[in-house]
Amino acid sequence: MRTKQKDLIRYKDGSLYCELADIWIDPNKPVKSALITHAHFDHFTFGCEEYISTNETAIILKERVGNNIKIKTFDYGEEFKINGINISFHPSGHILGSSQIKFIFAEEKWLISGDFKLQKDYTCKQYEIVKTDYLISECTFGLPIFKWDETNKIVNDISKWITNSPEKTSILFCYSLGKAQRLLKEISQTNFKGNIYSHGSIYKMNNCYKELGIDIKDTIKIENKKKIDQLKGSLILLPPSLSKSSYLKNFKNIQTAFASGWMSIRAMRKRSGYDKGFAISDHADWDGILELVKKSEAKNVFFHHGDSEALSKYLVEKESINVLLLGK
Amino acid sequence: MSLKKFSELFGDLDSINSTNNKIEVLKRYFLSNEPIDNSWAIYLLTGKSNKRFISGRYLKNLFSQIYEYPEWLIDTCYLKVGDSAEVITLLLKNKTTSINKKLSNISLNELLSKTIPELSKLNEEDKNLQIKNIWERLPEDYHLIFNKILTGTFRVGVSIGLITKSLSKLINIDEEIISHRLMGNFKPSIDSYQFLINKNINLQELNSKPFPFLLANTIEDKIFKHSINDFQFEWKYDGIRMQLIKRSGNVSLWTRGQELVNESFPELVEKMSHIKDDFVLDGELLVWNFKEQIAFDFSLLQKRINRKSPTRSIQIKYPIIFIAYDLLEINGRDIREIKLENRRNKLEKYFSKWQNKTENNISDIFKICDLIFPKDWPDALTFKEKSRENNTEGLIIKNIRSPYTSGRKKGIWWKYKVDPMQLDAVLIYAKGGSGRRAGLYTDYSFALWKDQELVKFASAYSGLTNIEIKELDKWIRKNTIEKFGPVRSLKPEMVFEISFEKIQISKRHKSGIAVRFPRITKWRKDKKINDADSLQNAYELMKKIS
Repeated sequence: MRTKQKDLIRYKDGSLYCELADIWIDPNKPVKSALITHAHFDHFTFGCEEYISTNETAIILKERVGNNIKIKTFDYGEEFKINGINISFHPSGHILGSSQIKFIFAEEKWLISGDFKLQKDYTCKQYEIVKTDYLISECTFGLPIFKWDETNKIVNDISKWITNSPEKTSILFCYSLGKAQRLLKEISQTNFKGNIYSHGSIYKMNNCYKELGIDIKDTIKIENKKKIDQLKGSLILLPPSLSKSSYLKNFKNIQTAFASGWMSIRAMRKRSGYDKGFAISDHADWDGILELVKKSEAKNVFFHHGDSEALSKYLVEKESINVLLLGK
Repeated sequence: MSLKKFSELFGDLDSINSTNNKIEVLKRYFLSNEPIDNSWAIYLLTGKSNKRFISGRYLKNLFSQIYEYPEWLIDTCYLKVGDSAEVITLLLKNKTTSINKKLSNISLNELLSKTIPELSKLNEEDKNLQIKNIWERLPEDYHLIFNKILTGTFRVGVSIGLITKSLSKLINIDEEIISHRLMGNFKPSIDSYQFLINKNINLQELNSKPFPFLLANTIEDKIFKHSINDFQFEWKYDGIRMQLIKRSGNVSLWTRGQELVNESFPELVEKMSHIKDDFVLDGELLVWNFKEQIAFDFSLLQKRINRKSPTRSIQIKYPIIFIAYDLLEINGRDIREIKLENRRNKLEKYFSKWQNKTENNISDIFKICDLIFPKDWPDALTFKEKSRENNTEGLIIKNIRSPYTSGRKKGIWWKYKVDPMQLDAVLIYAKGGSGRRAGLYTDYSFALWKDQELVKFASAYSGLTNIEIKELDKWIRKNTIEKFGPVRSLKPEMVFEISFEKIQISKRHKSGIAVRFPRITKWRKDKKINDADSLQNAYELMKKIS
């Protein structure tokens, strides 16, 4: 049974689209009007006529795109109307400013989870349970082999990894927005008290977070082209894009690690070529996805961003939840 | 505490790339643990324990049954992880968190000598229950090790050589003594560890095991300055290097990889046991073409290597021979210290005695290697060039006054391999290297012409100098046509001389041929891509050789 409401949000050209409001969600190409769940590069594109997001996301977005974009902001929970549809942002716990987006039309609720996690993160608002009829959820880590350890345990491992090799420079690769700041916050609570250096792209985001009132440790910006020496015993945060580049030749006697949920799998750790992997993620693990699905009380669930086959089958067979494919 | 330490050791060894760091970590481990646990650790790390208590399938089914978990979901997870023991370890994270961890102080010894072996004594129902019990009482960090031992899949990137080095540094005695002690059936016990690290070298005990092998170095020009009469010349066979030992009536057959392979070659063991003398022989095992008196290709030998207790028909189909190079011990006397020429004399003397006096005819399975007598070095070169005709890889050149030492000691044995086969090929793909080569394109694929098309025929990683690698890397970045993940397809422009050892038909490769040990021997900047060889050239090369 396909009602009109069921198509309130569908896939168009690879992105989520609400025809009734003529608005896109995290579009992958320039459009007239775009709702942005958060400011990771794979969730927005340059050149949209108008962006709509939370205040925090807007500030990070401007840092990344430039100040002259047109952007409308709303607080978490604040409802606004487009073409008779009530829309609101709700914390998704992924990174600073990240949100789930709720749509209400003709008394039916739709929720786009955005990227989300349930774990505590001191650098952003905790994910909020939002009740809905239709749920569109991400499922990046939609297999039961993904079960995150306590953040505490992981960051203590990171701290130990650095302090156990005082003669080495420890390079930790992490996404420059969100993961880096969360790690900074967490690592400064551990036994590791040495210097922390950030790559320019991370340093910029650190400043953004600070402007937005997030209290994170000061880091030293790595100046380009300067021969870097005498860094033994300290920690350097670099974006993963530099992991295979000649940039690493600037450093001597290093050990490398990658902080990512994928590192929970031994074969991935081995194949990735890093010395070490720390399985810490800003996405929900299997239990997290199941929890969101259940607590949202959605009767109909759609998945995107990930391999959803096993997850869907599991929900249908074990939890009797209706899992559907998004309309195209 | 020791399982915790072993679990940490496993984690460290799994992630550390540097050999020196691995040795340090191992030394630290051995210093801080009980001998019995060290003994088990060595047993596990050297891969001596691949006994499978239960299969991966069984483990998955058991988990599915206990926790009412759909099997298809476990199978889907397996596709991502690629190891049953690890899949179950990851899935257990969801299951056993709140339960009392009574086994948190279990030692490696207790786990391996008691807990796990006792499982095999139980009936299926009790065994399943017991595994569930262990899962629930064992701290999460140990699940991987437990599951891997259970399924016989415990493996970590550590060689026997690395263990040997660590122990040798730890107690400051020669590596060869340690490697000698580690050969063969190492049974974990306090005694075996004490024996391993015993600073007093007990010859009698050592005698039950093979000697460390002496290895040949690649030939260097300086050898040609010496008189040809200083050397003994043999064919270099492409078989399995072995020591054939008979002591107190027992025959044992050891590979250079320190494996006892009596079970794979029972006909040899049987025949040799009829010889009256005791001895240690160094030689090569081959599948032999008795009609033409040359070795069959290595691929036939592979049909025998991994087959235990071969049937009579297999033995007839792939007839083996042991060709002795050297006599290391005779009737209990270690003669490794005497000169090679004297050892050779003894070898010949004993061989003819055995041929005449042994009840069964031994010459259909055992002979001593023929020597070659070149007049001068150019003549040696001529012999070397002929080596393909009798299916050998070249010559082994041995100093006639040398003792039999161990390892790859310079200047005693040389290998003079037949010149490789070569083709000029076009570089078409490049892939990023790893480790110290990260950030550079160092893995290359090469193509030959087939009509107007370039068809990939080999990949090679080695052969260029660091300067050349950097230069080529720059060129690759500028001349990329397309990127697929880490791989770039390149503008066909660069020609390289590729050398290899063997060439044969292969259905698995698009080109229809496969080459062995391909490597870059020259960057042919002087050549255009139209000068590169064709597949037709490759086929002709193959015809010429066979």
